[in-house]
Amino acid sequence: LGGPQNLKCVTHNLHKMLCTWDMSSRGRHGQMDFCYTTNDLTTQVCFKTKERRVEIPIPESSITVTIKNSGTAFATKEFVIHQKDISFIPVTPHILSLMPDFPTSTLNLKWSDNGSVFPYGLDALWQIQILRKEAMEVVTQVTYYSKLTHEDVILSWNWTSDMPLECTSHYVKIRCYINATHFLGPKDWSDWSPAGVIPGKDAEPGGSGVFPLDSVVAVGSDLTFCCVHEEDQRITNMTYGSKSYTMMQLSSRSHAIRVLNASVSNSSGTNVVCRLENGLEGSVVFVGYAPDSPQNLSCETPNFLIIKCTWKPGRPSGLYGKRRTKYSLFERTSGKNVSCEVSEVNKDHVCGFPVLPDQKSYDFILGVSNPIGQAQSSLLVDITQRVHPKTPEKLTVTGSNSTSIQLRWFINGSFAEIRLLCQIEVTSSHSERKLYNVSMPGRKSSTYTAQLSALHPDTKYQFRVHCSAADHFWRWSDWSRGVEQTTSEA
Amino acid sequence: MAAADSPSAALRRDLCSRGIRLAGKMRADVVDLLDAYVEQQGLDASASVAAVEGVPLAAVERWDEQTGTQRLLENLAAYRAFRALLAQMLEEQREQLGEADAGLGRALAAVLLQVSAFAYHLEELLRLESRGIPGNAEEEEEEDGPPPPPRLSLFEQKLRGLGVLRELAQWAVRSVRDLRQLAKPSPATGAASGLAESP
Repeated sequence: LGGPQNLKCVTHNLHKMLCTWDMSSRGRHGQMDFCYTTNDLTTQVCFKTKERRVEIPIPESSITVTIKNSGTAFATKEFVIHQKDISFIPVTPHILSLMPDFPTSTLNLKWSDNGSVFPYGLDALWQIQILRKEAMEVVTQVTYYSKLTHEDVILSWNWTSDMPLECTSHYVKIRCYINATHFLGPKDWSDWSPAGVIPGKDAEPGGSGVFPLDSVVAVGSDLTFCCVHEEDQRITNMTYGSKSYTMMQLSSRSHAIRVLNASVSNSSGTNVVCRLENGLEGSVVFVGYAPDSPQNLSCETPNFLIIKCTWKPGRPSGLYGKRRTKYSLFERTSGKNVSCEVSEVNKDHVCGFPVLPDQKSYDFILGVSNPIGQAQSSLLVDITQRVHPKTPEKLTVTGSNSTSIQLRWFINGSFAEIRLLCQIEVTSSHSERKLYNVSMPGRKSSTYTAQLSALHPDTKYQFRVHCSAADHFWRWSDWSRGVEQTTSEA
Repeated sequence: MAAADSPSAALRRDLCSRGIRLAGKMRADVVDLLDAYVEQQGLDASASVAAVEGVPLAAVERWDEQTGTQRLLENLAAYRAFRALLAQMLEEQREQLGEADAGLGRALAAVLLQVSAFAYHLEELLRLESRGIPGNAEEEEEEDGPPPPPRLSLFEQKLRGLGVLRELAQWAVRSVRDLRQLAKPSPATGAASGLAESP
């Protein structure tokens, strides 16, 4: 009677173990002599204690413990503890930081893996619980894996909620299990950490409104909207667009609706309205598409001063104003970036990029983005092979006789780097339409001339001209305005 | 035999009747705009909108007892306020919608133009009576910059727009009544009533 019993030892760090024991009813109080010895200890280690718990090193194989209750002469008990009898329960992890990102409804959790107390290379498992509502219902439980490195490493984990964090308070708890394969004793999960909390608006005095507030989401998303209101306010209904939805109660001050497979909203967004007994709360959500990759990207220069790129945008995003899809043209070689002014409505997708000195080859990336996503297309082009001159202007007859005529025209642009090919169309009432090709060195914003001979005397002719690059044909310019001339009589 | 009209009384009655036509046209356009706005913003036409800060209320107590000058001054203050509110709505419309629904933007701009014209018309009436025209709060604001409007959510902006247009439609009705009141000859002098007897 009065002796120690039920000796149990637990380790939290695989170095030391905490041994605890009971005393039968009579010997409960008073000081005790605690001694232990192991194979590799030459003498017994003893000390006095009033506590019925002692921290001692973990034995390689086994340890002999003797506990003597000083008050009672014969109440001495000896225990032999083998490693397999020792439980390994890691220290309860504690949350270093729990940060909300409300716009994305994401929680970021940071904690220390306390790895410095463990040997290198052990596998650690972390169970993370997310709880919600006043009743702390488990929303999800996730297992996160890491490897201990004999150093204290701060681990980080993100979780995106299916409902705005403002809707109600979110709680996070974490516990860990360390797979110490070499340790013979039973291994178990640590205790759960104290819960970290992200208070919802429903925990905030005066907090109210519909959430998420003014968000942009992809078509087809499943959405949760909540209405946070005062405790004494009765909520009548919640509508999404023109449709009323069944409400779920999150707390005494927060109700939510769930909208599945959201369809594209109109230009001013879809209203989410919460009708209360004496008021109205609301939010707007813009449901649209991420941009498609631009198709048929093509770039050309009309004048060796500017490069004009055009493309087909693909499906409209359904987003307008400051949420519209934006385009930018990036040229890799020069590193220059240009943002493109693209009209949402009249659908002409064009972007201008300056021709850069001494650069013929352009490695373009057309980037396109809106709040829902982004995409890009690329194009490598030599602009000397992509010349699409402007329409020739001021086509005039500068001289003529009975069988020949001289023409002059002007083309705006700097074509000094290439040869131009121009085609003159000749029509008259007597003969079929004829095309004459004439090639000449390009010049900078210059006039060009050509002479046509073998014409018929006393005949009225109509002339017009269009031009292109001579060496690497890309596209003809538009036809110039026509000019008329009658050859003199023979 | 009715006394011959003095030139200023005749001018005042002309200004009043032109003002009445302006207000009538404005009201019709505001009602059309309101319908288009409710549909385009996806609002419930029957939604009750709490009094919106900064929007002058058309309802007035003891309307009959108002002097002509009071009527004109209250009208002028209201339409100046509406001018600023509509300009802000137009700016928000452009920011939120860009070129989408340009029709609504044009209709909003047209009503803004009418409101500005009507405010100018009221100033003419006040000038006619050599009443000093109250400083234009807007011009004073431009010197030290307009107070930044409270950051409203998009839904609050939509509701505020609804409140502004509803109240503007009410004001147009009140302005017609006010101008009719001003155009009436007063029993004693036969001159247009209201303005003369104000202190």
